[in-house]
Amino acid sequence: MKTDDLIAALAAQPAPQPLWLPGLALRIIGITALACVVFLLVLGPRADLAAALIRPEVVMKTALPALICTIALWLAVRQARPRLHPRAGLAGLALPLGIALGLWLLAFATRAPEARFADVTPPALAECLGLILLISALPATMALRILQRGAPTAPALAGALAGLASSAGAATGYSLFCMQDNPLFYVTWYGAAIGIVTLASAVAGSRMLRW
Amino acid sequence: MTNRETEWSALLQAADAGDGRAYARFLHAITPVLRGIVRARGRNLAPDDHEDILQEVLLAIHAKRHTRDAAAPVLPWLYAIARHKVVDAFRRRGTAVHLPIEDLAEDLLADPDPDLLALRDSNRLIGQLDPRAAQIVRAVSIEGETPAEVGGRLGMTDGAVRVALHRALQRMAALVKGEDR
Repeated sequence: MKTDDLIAALAAQPAPQPLWLPGLALRIIGITALACVVFLLVLGPRADLAAALIRPEVVMKTALPALICTIALWLAVRQARPRLHPRAGLAGLALPLGIALGLWLLAFATRAPEARFADVTPPALAECLGLILLISALPATMALRILQRGAPTAPALAGALAGLASSAGAATGYSLFCMQDNPLFYVTWYGAAIGIVTLASAVAGSRMLRW
Repeated sequence: MTNRETEWSALLQAADAGDGRAYARFLHAITPVLRGIVRARGRNLAPDDHEDILQEVLLAIHAKRHTRDAAAPVLPWLYAIARHKVVDAFRRRGTAVHLPIEDLAEDLLADPDPDLLALRDSNRLIGQLDPRAAQIVRAVSIEGETPAEVGGRLGMTDGAVRVALHRALQRMAALVKGEDR
C-alpha cells in the first residue's frame, strides 16, 4: 500500500473520543471498591472495628494501603498516555514506602522479642495472603484491560502500577476484616501480597499492554 | 521549532473537531519527518522495510490518536509514539536500534526547511537542477554513494562534490519554498 493511500484511508475515519484520565481512574477504583464491598459483605468486617479504629496502628493498617492505592492509581493512569519519561513521578511512592518502613522499625523496636513474630502462623499467613490475592485478582485484571485503551510506552511498568493500585486497594478493604494489628505482621504480609500482584501484573502488562 | 508545534497542534485540534482534511494534512506533514527518522536509523534494512515501518508508525499514531492531551504540546506526544514504534519495528526485524530521546527530539524539531530526506522523493525537483547537480543529488541522496565515489566518477574532488551537493539541496529547498507560496 502506498503511504499516501494509507493516509487518505486513515483521514476518512471519524475522530475518536479523547482519553480522559480521571475516567480511567474512576473505573479502576470503582471495580476495586466493588471487590472489597463484596468481600466484606460475605465475610464481614471485624466485630470490634469501631473500637479498634481508635488505635493508631489499626488506623495505619487501613490508611497506608489506601495511600499507596491512591498514589499508584494516579501514576498508573498517567501511563495511559505515551510518555518519553515513563518513570517520572515514581518517587511519589517513596512516601508510603517510607512510612511503612518506619512503622515496621518502630514496632520492632518497641515490642518484646518474643511478641514480635508470635502471630506469624501458617493459617494466619494463608488467610492474609490468600484473601488479599483473591480480592485483587479481578480488579488487577480489569485495571490492565482498562489501560489497554491507552498507549503506555513502558508496558511492564504500567502493568505493575495497575497491579499495585488494585492490590493496595484490595488490602485496604481486607484490613477492615483482618484482626492482625501488629505492624510487623501486616506491613510484611500485606506487603508480600501486594508485591506478588504487582509483579504478576508487570509480567501481564508487558504482554497485554503492548501496542 | 515552535512552528511545527503550533502548526501541528492546530491541525490536530481541527482534526479532533471532525475535520478529516486537517487530519490528512497533519499526517502528510509528519510523514517526511518520520521517514527521515526511519531511514536514518535503519540503514541496514531494505528501503521497502523503511516504508513499511513508516506505515506502522503512522498507523500507531492513528490508532492511539485519542491518547493525546489536548492541553499539552503535540511534539512530546508524537516523539513518544514514534520512538516506541520505531524501536519496536526494528526489534521485530532483528535490528536493535538505539534511539536516544535527544536525537529524536532533534529530528522532529529540526528546522522546518524541507530536509534532504523529504527531497529524496522529489524527482521532479531534481529535474529542475542542472544535469551535473541532478546527477550528484541522485547519486548521493538516492543511491547512497559517498561523495568520494561520485567525485571519482565525475572527475571532481570529494570536497567539490560536497559543495555542489549542498548548493543543489539549497536550490531544491528554495524551489519548494517558492512552490509553497
